[in-house]
Amino acid sequence: MMHLSQSLRREWQVLAADGWLKALLSWVPPLLFLSVWAVFSAGIARDLPIGVVDLDQSRLSRQAVRYYDASPALAVARAFPSVEQGSAALRSGDIYALVVLAPQLEKQALLGHTPEITTFYNSQFILIAKLVKSAMMQAQGTLNAQLDTLMNLAEGNAVLSQALGKAVPIRTQITPLYNSNNHYGQFLVAGAVPAMWQILMVITTIMVLAAHDRQQSLQTWLKPAPCRRLLGKLLPYTMILWMHGLLFLVALYGVLGWPMHGSWLVLGGAQLLTVLACQGVGALLYLATLDTTRAMSLAAGFTAPAFAFVGVTFPATDMPLLAQVWRSALPVTHYLDVQLHQVNHGQHLSEATPQLLALAAFLLLLGLAVLKARKLAAGSNRQEGVA
Amino acid sequence: MSWRELIQQELKAIFTNPSILFTVFGGVLIYSFLYPLPYTNQLPREQQVAVVNLDQSQLSRELERMVDATPQVALTHRAAGMAEAKAMMNRGQVQGLLVIPESFARDLLLGKSPTLAFAGDAAYFLVYGTVVEGLAQAADTLGAQAKVVRMVMSGENIALAAQQHTPIHLNLQPVFNPAMGYIDYIVPAVFVLVLHQTLLIAVSLLGCGQRTLAPAAGQRNYWQLAPAWQLVLVRALIFVVIYLPLVMYYFGFSFTYYHISRLATVSDLLAMTLPFLLAVIGFGMILGHLLPRRELAIVVVLLSSIPLIFSLGFIWPSSMIPVPIQSLVQLIPATPAVNAFLRLNQMGAEFHQVLHLWLQLWGQAIVYGGIAWLLQRRSRQRGMPPQVPAGSS
Repeated sequence: MMHLSQSLRREWQVLAADGWLKALLSWVPPLLFLSVWAVFSAGIARDLPIGVVDLDQSRLSRQAVRYYDASPALAVARAFPSVEQGSAALRSGDIYALVVLAPQLEKQALLGHTPEITTFYNSQFILIAKLVKSAMMQAQGTLNAQLDTLMNLAEGNAVLSQALGKAVPIRTQITPLYNSNNHYGQFLVAGAVPAMWQILMVITTIMVLAAHDRQQSLQTWLKPAPCRRLLGKLLPYTMILWMHGLLFLVALYGVLGWPMHGSWLVLGGAQLLTVLACQGVGALLYLATLDTTRAMSLAAGFTAPAFAFVGVTFPATDMPLLAQVWRSALPVTHYLDVQLHQVNHGQHLSEATPQLLALAAFLLLLGLAVLKARKLAAGSNRQEGVA
Repeated sequence: MSWRELIQQELKAIFTNPSILFTVFGGVLIYSFLYPLPYTNQLPREQQVAVVNLDQSQLSRELERMVDATPQVALTHRAAGMAEAKAMMNRGQVQGLLVIPESFARDLLLGKSPTLAFAGDAAYFLVYGTVVEGLAQAADTLGAQAKVVRMVMSGENIALAAQQHTPIHLNLQPVFNPAMGYIDYIVPAVFVLVLHQTLLIAVSLLGCGQRTLAPAAGQRNYWQLAPAWQLVLVRALIFVVIYLPLVMYYFGFSFTYYHISRLATVSDLLAMTLPFLLAVIGFGMILGHLLPRRELAIVVVLLSSIPLIFSLGFIWPSSMIPVPIQSLVQLIPATPAVNAFLRLNQMGAEFHQVLHLWLQLWGQAIVYGGIAWLLQRRSRQRGMPPQVPAGSS
């Protein structure tokens, strides 16, 4: 016990001398998590600006415009006298879609000629584009059903339900499972925060070792007992990094009350394995380079693009083999698989086992780091022998 | 110190620094292949869907075939009831469900508008969107067919009926990225960000590294000898010259390689690139002066990447982002740059439509350059590089 308290005190001295490391271990991670959540805190996009070119100026065309404007996701922000002006606004990004209502719209509709309303929507911003597209389709569907029902009633179908049945032959009921209100934040934040957590863990581990190295050469310090000293050094930080992980889990699925169907125990266990994996990556990078900047560059190269590979935005099953390989080399990939399956599907422990085993395989990295530490310690022996 | 000497010293400082070289050339080159890699297939296809067919009529089997025929989904599993289908979803075997209700065919023929139920895994938006799109498309086609059949039965001409089955047809045309491909979506924005982040790291690594280097006894280094304005100017120009080919590599080779549209003229791109690079370089010099140790440059840039990318407005509409964050990211050169390049190169905007972004970049270049000059002058006047105690922040 004496030994433990001594080493903790010594650790505290190292920490006290490095304000940046202290910040990374305390307030920086919650702040980063909070900032990503804040970006998406609105959850659902509302009143996305669209423009209209109404060349018909009839009762029907104005009714259609009102229907689009009434859609919660859309807002008719501007009306243009010509298609050219409207398309310029679309190109400059002022509006997300341009609805063109051709002349004779009402006349053709009354004659039963199926006129066309053309909507150009900006598909460069795909996720926004999908929102605009489905809102447009929904608004048009409502308008069409109403027109159709009216026509059917006018034709003498006295019963409203029958008239409706003729207008809408098949009704559909669409259920977004596991994210029932299509909450944007729930989808992206739940994936982005663990990706950031991985970055934080790898760089914090590098900084912990570097801070020690600056005060006392790591080689000399490791010499008496490389394995025990290295692991003993990492252990207190395992707890802190794990706390950060649990913090965002509790914040998202406890405080914010996002649906959580799985087991906290499995999630916590997966997180612990992830922490150890990332510490292994960080320790190995530092011990292999013994240069903070170089280790940090490599850590950046390894962790920065992780979010693209985790399969939240783009499904992993549609990635090419090479991407799959790179993806499985990232601890956070396996962690996120566990997290999403737990919170959404409430998977049983046995179903989560493959991912947990994959995470456990990263413990090999810690083993390699220990080997490297041994080698360094032996190297310092030899150097002293020569001296 | 002559210009020539200063330029030589600067080049030597940059090209003998492995961390800078790795960040600039390694980073830009590796990311040009790594970032687009997951999106190689552009679109998710053939998402697996389970069907619960409670009707078992010929018509419902026809619907099944139509669903399977869409490129978006593939009917891979069959379940006897909802519970079994739900269990398949939970195991992650399928990404969507289709429930065909009992007496679906009869209700359809009687004009009672039966209800088809779809469900998709909305924990993954793109998957969900794809599943719903595929299922809705098949249902729409079947619905339209049923309607046409009914119109023909009530005596309409078949050619006319096929045209008139809806009162108004909505023709939705995606523009700028017609295939809705993911590479065309992510790469043009992220590549600008990669240029931004690597340049930011490189400039601050150089500045911070030199500032915190223990001085050789009695000697003053070249960056302390040269006047501050001259050093700032030379350094900015050298980094511009290093980055111009890299920008050309991204906008030229990479965009061609990935078939990403390039609607902007070279002169427009160049006009935007210059203030962009200068603004980033000025920002990097400031970071180099403020950070106590050089590796922290990487830490700061790396940690800000994910929040930054979501705040740029191409993933989530800017109008939905809380105002404090919106305002804060306006200070970062990546924000006007990504938006300007997307508008010019992907959306075909005229230069006058992005003029405000161009001015914003020049404003940043001038202000950040000015601050960098003041900080450099202060650090030079101290004669010695200030000894920042390790850890003070």
